[in-house]
Amino acid sequence: MDDSTILETRDLNLWYGPKQALLDISIRIPKNTVTALIGPSGCGKSTLLRCFNRMNDLIDSARITGRILFEGDDIYADHTDVYTIREKIGMVFQKPNPFPKSIYENVAYGPRIHGVRRKEVLDDVVETSLKRAALWEEVEDRLHEPALALSGGQQQRLCIARSLAVEPRVILMDEPCSALDPIATAKIEDLIIRLARDYTVVIVTHNMQQAARVSEYTGFMYMGRLVEFDRTQRIFEDPTEELTENYITGRFG
Amino acid sequence: MVEKFRAELRSLKGEVVEMGDLALDMLQRAVKALETRDVGAVKSFDRDKKRLADQDHEIEQECLRLIALYQPVAKDLRTIATALKMNTYLYRIGRYGKDIAILVPDLADAPVSSDCLDGIPVMADLVIGMVTDALTAFEREDLSVIDDILAREEEVDALRYDVLRESLSRMVDDPGRITWCTDCIMIARYLERCGDHACKIAEKVHYMVTGERVEIR
Repeated sequence: MDDSTILETRDLNLWYGPKQALLDISIRIPKNTVTALIGPSGCGKSTLLRCFNRMNDLIDSARITGRILFEGDDIYADHTDVYTIREKIGMVFQKPNPFPKSIYENVAYGPRIHGVRRKEVLDDVVETSLKRAALWEEVEDRLHEPALALSGGQQQRLCIARSLAVEPRVILMDEPCSALDPIATAKIEDLIIRLARDYTVVIVTHNMQQAARVSEYTGFMYMGRLVEFDRTQRIFEDPTEELTENYITGRFG
Repeated sequence: MVEKFRAELRSLKGEVVEMGDLALDMLQRAVKALETRDVGAVKSFDRDKKRLADQDHEIEQECLRLIALYQPVAKDLRTIATALKMNTYLYRIGRYGKDIAILVPDLADAPVSSDCLDGIPVMADLVIGMVTDALTAFEREDLSVIDDILAREEEVDALRYDVLRESLSRMVDDPGRITWCTDCIMIARYLERCGDHACKIAEKVHYMVTGERVEIR
């Protein structure tokens, strides 16, 4: 693994019970970039995303072979703590899922769990995280109101702020805009691009234009395989694989 | 939606080919008028020039509409990008046809055969062949018909210098021929520019088909 790679899989296979969902995936996610995973429903892109922070451990029938490396270390090594992995590799889901607590408590939740007690430290983390998630100006005077009173787009940015509060290196996003209107989507997209200055973002999206707009690298997956991985401009201007071209131009099936 | 887009993209390509046919026709008629000293031919070019300008505008509008509505990618996008450039090149080619036709009355009294003028039909044949083949390559997405276009372009350049050299020496020998000779230089220049545009079209078609950018010259 070279310095510019933060996440890597080598010959990764995954089964849900008898059904194989990922086949021989070898991918390198470059550091401080946005990487998009695209492909039709059921192609394995969300499954691959969930591998990166061992979310598939939560599914009893899931079994994997191959290696997944984060900053060169195997995330399935005996000495690896899964909670540390999920702290370093945060996740944002399709549907905003704030806790039924205040805006402040949502962001402070992670640092508290990690032992931060001092109010001034927590205040600082909350403010910094909300600013990084481009939400601070909209909520600074109502931090103690319920998070569930926010709009969908604000809730999603709150979830991003919540993941930033524990200082991750990577943020995984699973269709983060699919429940949002175009204006909220545009704000999240701007945010994703800004986040890539300090973090690595891996985003699963069904929206190919979104992948084209926000990412520097794109992986196209089909039936559990990574068909093509390249710079986004290359994928959308002149893909190497015919299967990729057929998918992105809508000639599928 | 995909079916509809495919049909509209085919239709766009058809419009580009139609514009190319008109531009080629203008160039061919101008060369013919020059050969037959048909001083009245230029009149028929006004209507064609207007039609060519309309086609240029329509193709541009159509390209922008397809991009805005369908956000095309990959070869679809490259095809539209190619069409968007080709309309400009084709417009210029048609306009050079008219520019040549405008000079025909000046040359009405020129000797039917002269050293200056002799090279021009040869140049014209080459250039018309280049434009025709570039259009065919676009229509059929077949690069084999344009793989020798650089060699033909070099031949056109060489002929243009022949015309230039010959015209300059004729002007020195006989100042009475300055107008004719200047016109010959202009016509050779117009044809050479048409050859350049054929090469630019060939470059774009190459990009459309392969995704790789090449510079023919």
